[in-house]
Amino acid sequence: MTFTDTLLLAFRNLRQSRLRTSLTTLGVAIGIASLAGMVSLGVGLQEQVVGRLTQSGVFDSITVTSGRANIPGMGGMGLGRVAGRGGRGGRGGPGNTTPTQPAAPLDDAAVARFAALSHVRDAYPTLRIPMSYQYDGRTNAALAAGIPESSRGEGAFQSITHGTFFPDATGASVMLTLEMAQQLKADAPGSLIGQTLELSYADSAPNAQGTPEFVAGVQVTRVSLPFTIVGIVERDPAPGANLGLSAIMIPLEQARAINARAIANPQAFLQGAAPQTRRYTAVTVRVTSAANTQDVQDQIKAMGFTAFSLNDALQGAKRAFLVLDILLALVGSIALAVSSLGIVNTMVMSILERTREIGIMKAIGGSDRDVRGIFLVEAATIGLIGGMAGIVLGWGVGRFINIGANIYIERQGGTAGDLFSLPWWLILGAMAFALFVSLVAGSYPARRAARLDPIQALRHE
Amino acid sequence: MLHTRHLCRHYPMGGTIVKALDDLSLDVAEGEFLALVGTSGSGKSTLLNLIGGLDQPSAGSLEVRGRDLARMTRDELSLHRRNTVGMIFQSFNLVPSMTAVENVALSLMFAGVPRAERDQRASALLEAMGLGGRQHHRPKELSGGEQQRVAVARALANQPPLLLADEPTGNLDSRTSREIMDLVRTLNERDGKTIILVTHDAALASAYARRTVTLLDGNVISDTGQPAVLERA
Repeated sequence: MTFTDTLLLAFRNLRQSRLRTSLTTLGVAIGIASLAGMVSLGVGLQEQVVGRLTQSGVFDSITVTSGRANIPGMGGMGLGRVAGRGGRGGRGGPGNTTPTQPAAPLDDAAVARFAALSHVRDAYPTLRIPMSYQYDGRTNAALAAGIPESSRGEGAFQSITHGTFFPDATGASVMLTLEMAQQLKADAPGSLIGQTLELSYADSAPNAQGTPEFVAGVQVTRVSLPFTIVGIVERDPAPGANLGLSAIMIPLEQARAINARAIANPQAFLQGAAPQTRRYTAVTVRVTSAANTQDVQDQIKAMGFTAFSLNDALQGAKRAFLVLDILLALVGSIALAVSSLGIVNTMVMSILERTREIGIMKAIGGSDRDVRGIFLVEAATIGLIGGMAGIVLGWGVGRFINIGANIYIERQGGTAGDLFSLPWWLILGAMAFALFVSLVAGSYPARRAARLDPIQALRHE
Repeated sequence: MLHTRHLCRHYPMGGTIVKALDDLSLDVAEGEFLALVGTSGSGKSTLLNLIGGLDQPSAGSLEVRGRDLARMTRDELSLHRRNTVGMIFQSFNLVPSMTAVENVALSLMFAGVPRAERDQRASALLEAMGLGGRQHHRPKELSGGEQQRVAVARALANQPPLLLADEPTGNLDSRTSREIMDLVRTLNERDGKTIILVTHDAALASAYARRTVTLLDGNVISDTGQPAVLERA
């Protein structure tokens, strides 16, 4: 008998017991829906968390510091003076007594070398400049961060509470954190947009225009610059998304220019270090995707720098989600296990009902294989149709729950997102699994039908 | 055509062994019309089922056209049922959900005949059985005689040389019985099919068959013998 004929007979049998076939198929659909729904939830949550983290720039960014000093964790990052000493500390720092080669200078040349590495999207100095700001007659100190153009629309800058990102890469514009803005104007931080914020720094050049003042007994010039407030950024609840966020944020090019002139390190200034040999305390290297982080990190280390990233933490998070996915899949499988028993039951019932018919088929020349094939195709059809219906059902229920959950999340002040994700591999996998389960469930009844004694079967009423 | 030697079929039943056939030896020539008669339990149906390949011997040999059914695998037996024998039954054994033409085509389906050809062949067979206008009726819409004709058409579909009939007129009235038996006789005389008819009706056996073998307790007690004129095989 040809396969087409097997299909023909199987479909005709399924059609003849429509109600039973539909109910069994519905059972499989519910089983697959629960399985696909559960895995879809796991994948969706993973995409929410890992995706947000990945976009935040935590995992595709490498922090490079000078030399081989042993900087524990992120402690050396951002704080100019600590890391600054770390840069030179290879010779005398605590816990590093082995003589090392002279540290490679972390200057513009080094930044250019990082930028030239493959898979590197951007490399820029991590600048935190101590500045003073004047607003409403009060003067306060704050660290101003240089934000590169490549951060536009990423991490903390994905959504800007008030105003916009810097209109251009070089202009005298400034963004503030919401906390900072509230310190300036508690009742209506949004109204700060468009206003001018005076930022000042101590200039090292003797001929600078500004107000003279004394730092550690040495006369310097305080230079004041007007910046326009363009945006106010809220801190993101996702960990790591606030990378680069500082109370005051100015375009990187502005920060570079100020950094070249400002007395960031009074000690160095007092020792008479020439500004042009100034080195960066830290450089941020952004790679094209988190998958390249380790590779680029190793190359930078090979150049004689200290490089650090949170990539390992991402791998850990992914492993944790894999475990979650497996657990969810196991819970989802319970319903499928029940529905596979439904298939067995339906097929056994069907054999009882059709015993005589099976006897007739055998008497006129149907082989064991022919009979088995018909029953297996019936089971597989129930599985496939149930699988398809189950995916649609699971998707629909997932959408429904998602809408409800998002209303709740938004009420709690969170950001709405897709809790369920249905990638193509899950659709195909669920279909294949439905087919597999139905074939396994159908194999016993099919074998039983194939082994029926034709004489007994023909006597059956 | 058919040779049995020391053929036995024993069933275990409730701790004892039932000897449905016991050391039976029989030869049937090509083109014979043979009737197997006997009381119920004499073993005539058991013998017919063995020849039809629905069952296998416990001991002895059963050769049909030179091939021993006792040594066949399940697959070989299904091929034997498909190609060598055609069976008709007292209760017709048509698939109730299929039309007449579908029932006939079903046996061609198992033989792997393509759809268009099997529909055409099934249709032609029904036409030859005088059922031209009844092809798309289901069994319950047909009379007993018509159902048995459909069954005969199905038995002939794969052109087997041997036709086995198990009480084919048991559910039919006398007029329809005669029609069916006339049809079977035609198949024997015109088409040269070897016929083995199982019946408990001695009158029917003597009216149509040219040889009658009587069984009792699983063995032959009388045999009218093979007419010499039919010794063609």
